[in-house]
Amino acid sequence: MASNLRNSSLQKWSIIIFASLLGFTLFILPVIASSIYSFQKPGGKGYSFISYTWLLHQAGFFPSVGTSLKLAVLAGILNISLMVPTMVYLNFTGQKLKPLVDFICILPLVIPVVSLAIGAQNAMPSFLQNTQYELVFFFVIIGLPFTYRTLDTALQAISLKTLVEASRSLGASWIRTIIRVIVPAIRGGITGALFLTFALSIGEYTITSLLHWETFPTWTVVASQQNILGAIALSVFSFVSAIALLATVALFSKKGARQVGVDQ
Amino acid sequence: MNKKDRVSSTLELRGVSRNFGPVTALDGLDLVVAPGELVALLGPSGCGKTTALRIVAGLEVATSGELFVNGERYNEVAANARDMGMVFQSYSLFPNLNVSENIEYGLRARKIGSAQRAKRVAEMLELVALESKAKSFPHQLSGGQQQRVALARALAIEPRVLLLDEPLSALDAQVRSQIRDEIRRIQLELGITTLFVTHDQEEALTISDRVGVMSNGRLEQIDIPDVLYNNPVSTFVANFVGTMNHIPTIASGDTVDIFGKKIRVKNSKGVNGSVSALVRPESIEVTRTSGSGNAKIITRSFLGASSQIICQTAEGAVIQALMPSHESGDLHPGEDVTLNVTLNEVLVSHV
Repeated sequence: MASNLRNSSLQKWSIIIFASLLGFTLFILPVIASSIYSFQKPGGKGYSFISYTWLLHQAGFFPSVGTSLKLAVLAGILNISLMVPTMVYLNFTGQKLKPLVDFICILPLVIPVVSLAIGAQNAMPSFLQNTQYELVFFFVIIGLPFTYRTLDTALQAISLKTLVEASRSLGASWIRTIIRVIVPAIRGGITGALFLTFALSIGEYTITSLLHWETFPTWTVVASQQNILGAIALSVFSFVSAIALLATVALFSKKGARQVGVDQ
Repeated sequence: MNKKDRVSSTLELRGVSRNFGPVTALDGLDLVVAPGELVALLGPSGCGKTTALRIVAGLEVATSGELFVNGERYNEVAANARDMGMVFQSYSLFPNLNVSENIEYGLRARKIGSAQRAKRVAEMLELVALESKAKSFPHQLSGGQQQRVALARALAIEPRVLLLDEPLSALDAQVRSQIRDEIRRIQLELGITTLFVTHDQEEALTISDRVGVMSNGRLEQIDIPDVLYNNPVSTFVANFVGTMNHIPTIASGDTVDIFGKKIRVKNSKGVNGSVSALVRPESIEVTRTSGSGNAKIITRSFLGASSQIICQTAEGAVIQALMPSHESGDLHPGEDVTLNVTLNEVLVSHV
């Protein structure tokens, strides 16, 4: 019995050590290495911010970051305003349409990006095709599989039907019910969906490149071909931004969860 | 919000039916709830009582039939325009709003000014004795407190009719009777017309003016609790309300033989053969016999003023009797006793 216990705890520890080593070599080591490398002076003598200042002075850095942020925010907002009422409707009324909508929302993951980009672009009105704002709609589409699931989980965690009925019987309209009761109750899910769409949009490369628009990811590829240390600084910058974004999501969803409480 | 300030409403359902596909949940319900009256709809799950309540609330649409409040047709009135306060089994407080905000939710929807809202919230908190919890969130409250907030929230809008959908089912036994009495006290204090749905006969009998027993979407009997208990019109009502002994016996003509005594049959006259006679525990008298009686005592449980005696007849039937404790103190398990029925008329059901 005692030796069994020792064996199993030994086993546990060796797994933990192995996983940590693997994670360190594959994940943390490259990050540390490239972080150090990005601060090196060209030629290898000493450390400075020179690669980062080079980055900031590159033509197109700020405009591309600005474009990406703008499109990502718009995509996040559009996605939420489209999906929240849809998901509330699907969860509140019969479930008949739900599998269909679920299927449609999964499609962006299944359809090859090239077909998606070209096909969906052809379906857009021409005034949209000529502006970078067409990307917002693509970003909304690629965000659908994730927002569907996030919002669905959030809505299933609350007793949607009785909350809606309570609100209605107290004299509230549908709009009031959604804004004052449902949205606050699924706040965690909504912020999660918002940030997922935002993160996906910020990092989207393939469609943007296929349709010849310049956003931060496409600019990165071009810029990094000119300066190797600058390219590394760029990847460290992107990585740190992504981590910061993820941390924000985690923080917001936790806050939302706490507000809703646990015993419903 | 005193009894004098407000006019109570009459609620009337005429032939209200509801079908879900091929299933008839409600089958032509006729019901009038008088102003200030508390009527309970009692029945097993699936009897249509909740459907009836939801149709009154406007959360469900009647397939046929009409609904009136104070003589005004309500079928087409939207749920949020009906002015009905509803209390749900699952409390369904808004989790993101605190107690005060929950109570004032309906007032905000009615665009009532903040000073008046604050005054009403204070009144409601006092009514349910939760003044100290005004700023608490629902998840910080116990089940009983949450249900009191739900009641205050429903009453804050001065509803025409108060609808209670199994409001006590999610609470534990002790809190249940406390909230039950509180609901009745408040209902009487405000004189508000109330429709109360429950599957618990004790709940229904203790606080209602009238109780309607439902089965298969129909109202079997509606009357004051005393009549339901003492004069059930059908075996279904007799079984559902209160405790009932089923004594196996033989019917011949209009009488049955119970413990050697001929008793008139109240329902299904002219039945012959094996039947069960339905007898309340308090209609059975247990007396000690020196010789061999017609039953043996299994247990006697002291309940205070009365005691429950469980006996087994020579034929093997288990009979429950309820007697004043001072008359049954000398009855002990294992003893031979004689059972008697103190009734002139009895309901029977076919076996």
